[in-house]
Amino acid sequence: MTSDTPTRARVLVVDDAATVRMYHNSLLGEAGFEVSEAANGLEAVEAALGTPFDLYVVDVNMPKMNGYACVEALRSETVGTAAPIVMISTEDRPGDADRAYRAGANLYLVKPVAGDRLVRVATMLTADRSWAAEKDVAA
Amino acid sequence: MGLVRKQAPQEPEEALPEGPSAEILLSRLDDPDPDRRRESALGLVGAPEAVPAMLARVGVEEDPRVLESMLTTLAAYDTEDVAGGLAVHLASDEAGLRTAVAAALATMPRSFPAVLPSLLAAPDHDVRVMTAMILADLQHPEAHTWLVRMICQDPHPNVVTGAIDALLPSATTDDVQLLLDARERFPDDPFLRFTVNAALPRLTGTP
Repeated sequence: MTSDTPTRARVLVVDDAATVRMYHNSLLGEAGFEVSEAANGLEAVEAALGTPFDLYVVDVNMPKMNGYACVEALRSETVGTAAPIVMISTEDRPGDADRAYRAGANLYLVKPVAGDRLVRVATMLTADRSWAAEKDVAA
Repeated sequence: MGLVRKQAPQEPEEALPEGPSAEILLSRLDDPDPDRRRESALGLVGAPEAVPAMLARVGVEEDPRVLESMLTTLAAYDTEDVAGGLAVHLASDEAGLRTAVAAALATMPRSFPAVLPSLLAAPDHDVRVMTAMILADLQHPEAHTWLVRMICQDPHPNVVTGAIDALLPSATTDDVQLLLDARERFPDDPFLRFTVNAALPRLTGTP
């Protein structure tokens, strides 16, 4: 049985900088998303194992587990999320975006990301959540 | 006469098993088994002759656990040679390497100041962002002053924002003008503006 009531898309913001988490939480929260936070890749993976999210916003340089490793873990069989993943970083060397896509990210943005752009991207990526239904059916 | 506790017969002291020499441990850093490499890296504490070889391995070691052990051993020396040898990896393309090295440098308060000037002058602004991250965790009485200097002088908004983020846990009312000046210097950076605006109420004690 499914409900006709649309649920708010759930976003996990993963960044070791508290102010970045606060910033993204504020932007996405005001835009109607349900936002949770993780301070590093390990926390993100633990959170994803407990709660399925509709979108992940992941930093690159983090202690304990960096962003690329985090995305690989999220895409691994253990977590197995098919939800979109946006990586956001100050790193904009040639190859950084390629590395993100190889890890499994859907989009790579370079900081600073304008607030309205982040909201637009999040809205676009969570508009069609059919992948979640497919996963539920598969499970 | 008081009772005299009878002493247990003394056992002959058992000789501690002697561990492998630094030379053997160094050769094991190339062992295909990562557990063996990790044990060797940890066993090389107190073997300064092994430092150059370990520094040379930092950039090529692929197992994160081995790398972490090697960095733990190297950071314990806290010398300028080690700090310099590690700092070059802050510009690495490998996120795991540069963040692990940053974490190690943050535990080297005696020697990190020696490499700080070159890091603050690094042409790659990402290296300077990593430097701010290190200063956030470095237990050094001048760390706050260095972050203030970064906020005042660095031309890149990401570096200034990183330095502000690093400064905030230790920021006081005295830093309010510094933050206001940074916000004025980069009026078009939304994240920097948000960071300053979010910090001001706490620092000034006003809602």
